[in-house]
Amino acid sequence: MKKLKYYSKIWWLLTRNSFSIVLGQRVALLFFLTGKVLRFSLFIGFLYFLIQGTNGLAGYSGNQAIFFFLVFNLVDVLSQFFFREVYRFRPKIISGDFDLTLVKPTNALFVSLLGGADAIDFFTIPPLIIATWYAGSLFHPSILSTLYFVLLIVNGFLIAAAFHIAVLAMGIITLEIDHTIMIYRDLTSFGRFPVDIYKQPVQGLLTYLIPVGIMITFPAKALMGLVSGGGILISMFIGVLALFLSFRFWNYALKKYASASS
Amino acid sequence: MDRAIIVDHLVKNFEVIQKEPGLTGAVKSLFSPTKKQVHALRGVSFSIQTGELVGFIGPNGAGKTTTLKTLSGLLYPTSGFVSVMEYDPWERKPEFLKQIALVMGQKNQLWWDLPAIETFELNRAIYELNTREYEDNLKELVELLEIGKLINIPVRKLSLGQRMRMELTAALLHKPKVLFLDEPTIGLDLVAQQKMRDFIYEYNRKYQATIILTSHNMDDLVDLARRVIVVDEGKILFDGALEELVEKFAKEKIIKATLAKSDGIVDLEKIGKVRKLAFPEVVISVPRNAIAVAAAELLQNFAVDDLTIEEIPIEDVIRKVFKGGIFGK
Amino acid sequence: MNKYFQIFKISFQEEFTYKINFVMWRVRNVFQIIVTYYLWDTIFSAPGREVFGYDRAKIMTYIFTLIIVRSIVLSARAVDVSSDVAEGNLSNYLIRPMSYFKYWFTRDIASKVLNLFFAAGEFAILFVILKPPFFFQTNIYVFLSFLMAIVLAILIYFSLLFIISAVPFWAPELGWGSQFLVIIVMLEFLSGAVFPIDILPGVYQKIVMSLPFPYMIFFPVQVYLGKITGMSLIQGFVISIAWAVALYLAMRYVWSRGLKEYQAFGR
Repeated sequence: MKKLKYYSKIWWLLTRNSFSIVLGQRVALLFFLTGKVLRFSLFIGFLYFLIQGTNGLAGYSGNQAIFFFLVFNLVDVLSQFFFREVYRFRPKIISGDFDLTLVKPTNALFVSLLGGADAIDFFTIPPLIIATWYAGSLFHPSILSTLYFVLLIVNGFLIAAAFHIAVLAMGIITLEIDHTIMIYRDLTSFGRFPVDIYKQPVQGLLTYLIPVGIMITFPAKALMGLVSGGGILISMFIGVLALFLSFRFWNYALKKYASASS
Repeated sequence: MDRAIIVDHLVKNFEVIQKEPGLTGAVKSLFSPTKKQVHALRGVSFSIQTGELVGFIGPNGAGKTTTLKTLSGLLYPTSGFVSVMEYDPWERKPEFLKQIALVMGQKNQLWWDLPAIETFELNRAIYELNTREYEDNLKELVELLEIGKLINIPVRKLSLGQRMRMELTAALLHKPKVLFLDEPTIGLDLVAQQKMRDFIYEYNRKYQATIILTSHNMDDLVDLARRVIVVDEGKILFDGALEELVEKFAKEKIIKATLAKSDGIVDLEKIGKVRKLAFPEVVISVPRNAIAVAAAELLQNFAVDDLTIEEIPIEDVIRKVFKGGIFGK
Repeated sequence: MNKYFQIFKISFQEEFTYKINFVMWRVRNVFQIIVTYYLWDTIFSAPGREVFGYDRAKIMTYIFTLIIVRSIVLSARAVDVSSDVAEGNLSNYLIRPMSYFKYWFTRDIASKVLNLFFAAGEFAILFVILKPPFFFQTNIYVFLSFLMAIVLAILIYFSLLFIISAVPFWAPELGWGSQFLVIIVMLEFLSGAVFPIDILPGVYQKIVMSLPFPYMIFFPVQVYLGKITGMSLIQGFVISIAWAVALYLAMRYVWSRGLKEYQAFGR
């Protein structure tokens, strides 16, 4: 409990700092916001237009396809909001400033992963939640489906966390973050569409091995009442497993850092 | 007296991947990288008392920084025993980390775009300082380092010297009992260097803090360190008082003489190595064991007004240490 | 000339030194192709389906041609120029006796050659795995037009990139933001890298086709596929050349102004 209080306070300070940096550069903030909104709208427009021409996508209606895309954005934006520090990790490793993080009594993984939320996505999250909520309400989900949905979104967020931890660990070992994180982004962007559109074996890989399906497609399907209780359990299991493995990997990387760098 | 730091037979090996030059080398290393073991520390032992200020010297790559990093828990020893304030540094327990600080010249913990005070506030939370401690410590450091007006200016607008003092403040807010300083004056101008030294001296004296300092700056060592440890190629070559370093390693002594006449001045070469000749002053260096003979010879064969025998200046000895050539390689 | 050859060689080696960067960048390209492939494959899964004037064979050919065109046109080292300007590293180049533009252009070419080489390999592998219907252009005149369209695309992209990279002359903190907005968001959607522009309804298509973006990807691909011929081919080239010239002049102008700004502030 005391630890929780300690870390929330540090998270708050880190976030306050990174917010005040971003808010100090208003035009840059505007550029990024415009870019993000533009990309989002262009894609929605494309999707809408595409489905109008083809009457659905892999058996899903237009509304459903758009809902998949919204859920993808929700998970994506949430993880970008919380894990923004990962993108700033590389310079710290290269310059050796990471050493100064390690000699502090705060957990180095906590600081490297959650140190400083992203102010830009702070603005995009509320409208996105409203849009997702509205699009979801069109399916008239039951309370149980809604509960499953929330549970699986949290689970998806944990898998995203696991990915980011793995990226950090890779960064320590290979000094490379920018591309690994972009690969992660590319992989998750498979989830812009329901994973059903991919043929086997790609679909299987995307669902279980690189659990994009579990991160994004499953929550959306759960709200539509298309996932069973067993499916939920398997998803949660994979979520916890991913997180566990990523912690192991991080510890391994730290040990490697301690015996390989100079 | 209690021992703050104990290091016993510390060994540290690194594995590095060798890069070969040229395109073929690059392609080759893509498929079969050549690995090489680097022996950074080969069995280092020493101990340091509480409140001591010790200078680590040696040429580049001798193992100084590796030692500091191992002591602060950043590196995992290959073998050997390390204890800092009775903790095993590698465990990096919060209680241990709250008592130490590592300051590396040219490495940053400050938030670049924000005033330094924001980093201080953050460190206050990280080290769990209460309001009283924080304010007292900050006030003291601000006064000692003369940075009162600077703490509200974004870090990127500060000069290197100013920034370094901020780094130091951030690192010392929690009043660490053990302090590892890696090249604290690197890149600073002379005035800033002096300020930094005064501060380190003060901090050591006032809080009985144990300090290990590595530096390539002669003045840092001469001003601050009473005891020095010389490392080269991962081994300790000397551990003792700074003055003894000269006695032990300077193989020569120096005769300074003032001559009355310039007759036969070329023959001075026969007595020893002439280092400086600006009549009437002459400086000759002579092997330590031949110094008495040389002095006698000089008095006998030349018209000498005045003569003194001195040790080689400590700076010369240290300079040789940095080059790594002192020990008869 | 010799010095630019040396730069070419060094750039080439550098890509190997940062091999992880390079491999990752190629992997990303493959991922993007796979997503696009399956999306369209799903849409055209019903046999004999035709949407927006495309059938399965045509759209697959489009996507597979993308692999090659993307790697030639969009591989560029000059994306680093922006940070050079913002951080003041530009000075290191300005004092050397060589043209900064030629320096980066040479590096771009080196990058393109290397990427093309790897893209060809990926093309072959994906081709064997996915067995898409593909159309090999045999008409020599069409092929020559395609090469010309590619050269124009490279020039347009280079000038555009340099114009965007000049933003930090006036506002160092906007460097990455403007690259994101123009190069990542706009270029991705409006160049035809995600979908062929001609699936858009008439008005939108006209608007997009008057911008420089489709001439970097969509236009060369269509020329290769032989879908643009006769008058519309000439019209396309006219617009493409006009953009290449206009952007080149704009780049020259922006940079001469920017460099004055840079030197005035002594960054």
